[in-house]
Amino acid sequence: MQLSQTSAEKIMKDMSMDDMPLVAFQPQRTQISADWFARYKAARHSFMQSLVDSVNELAFMNLSQEEFINLVMGREIPRNMSIRMRIPLFWGGQISPDNMFMCATFPHSQNIDRFIIGQAGYDTVWLPAPSKKIYIPAHTTGGGDGGNATEDRLAQMAAQIVSAHGME
Amino acid sequence: MTREEFLSAMRARGAEIAPAAPRQNIATTNALLQGMRAAMMPITMTEFYAVVGGITNGSGYIFGPEEVQRNNIYPVPSIISINRDMSHIPAMHGKTIFGRNDLFFFAFDAFGTAYMLDNLTLRPLRKYDDIFRAMTDCLAAGKL
Repeated sequence: MQLSQTSAEKIMKDMSMDDMPLVAFQPQRTQISADWFARYKAARHSFMQSLVDSVNELAFMNLSQEEFINLVMGREIPRNMSIRMRIPLFWGGQISPDNMFMCATFPHSQNIDRFIIGQAGYDTVWLPAPSKKIYIPAHTTGGGDGGNATEDRLAQMAAQIVSAHGME
Repeated sequence: MTREEFLSAMRARGAEIAPAAPRQNIATTNALLQGMRAAMMPITMTEFYAVVGGITNGSGYIFGPEEVQRNNIYPVPSIISINRDMSHIPAMHGKTIFGRNDLFFFAFDAFGTAYMLDNLTLRPLRKYDDIFRAMTDCLAAGKL
């Protein structure tokens, strides 16, 4: 049993996340290795550091300079942000930055949890699969405090950090 | 672990602690939880909420009786709001979710036992006799 794509999209739309792409996935409970937590922690840090290439999305988050630096240095994620696994660990998802995305904890990550929990026991589940590393709903990207000045400032800072770490 | 030991450890980690809710709100919260077939608060939790309205440590959260407002940031939902959304799930009957981080939910039952739950299926993964130990695990994973 499973939700139809239309039903799944309707649920996402009701949670104001109608621009979130969904992929069908057949969950199979997987054993994970004993060292998963250390590897998960390291992958989170690598994922955060990889966000230097996501300046357009970061500009819409209206981060302070300190929050931005802490994020791209892999020290700390900004307030109300969560790092999620695209394919959950316990369903065979790889512990890798490529299997992660970031979104707001409230309401988005909490809503995604509800969406997945609501499909418990189904043979095929629909999983959110944002196209970028950071999910920001389209309806929140139309204005606000972001904009070119913020984007330019963050791009400049990101370039400095990359250069300082020899990551180019 | 005592409440004071727990709070002291959380303050040392830089957690944000919300002010306590009025006693009346705690009683109302308890009645609402009962109405949605979740667990009523054990005495440890009612006493905890008399001094703390919720805790945030990175992406680790302990939900309180009231929504926690944050400047220019989406508020932290109340424990009622979180559990209302889950009240139709049979696995949650008799349990109340009181915390979350990026990997797990945390719940208590009316007897004061706490559980770490799989955030995909709400299946219990770990059981705690000490609710403050469960809160510590929940919040510690908020800053990895």
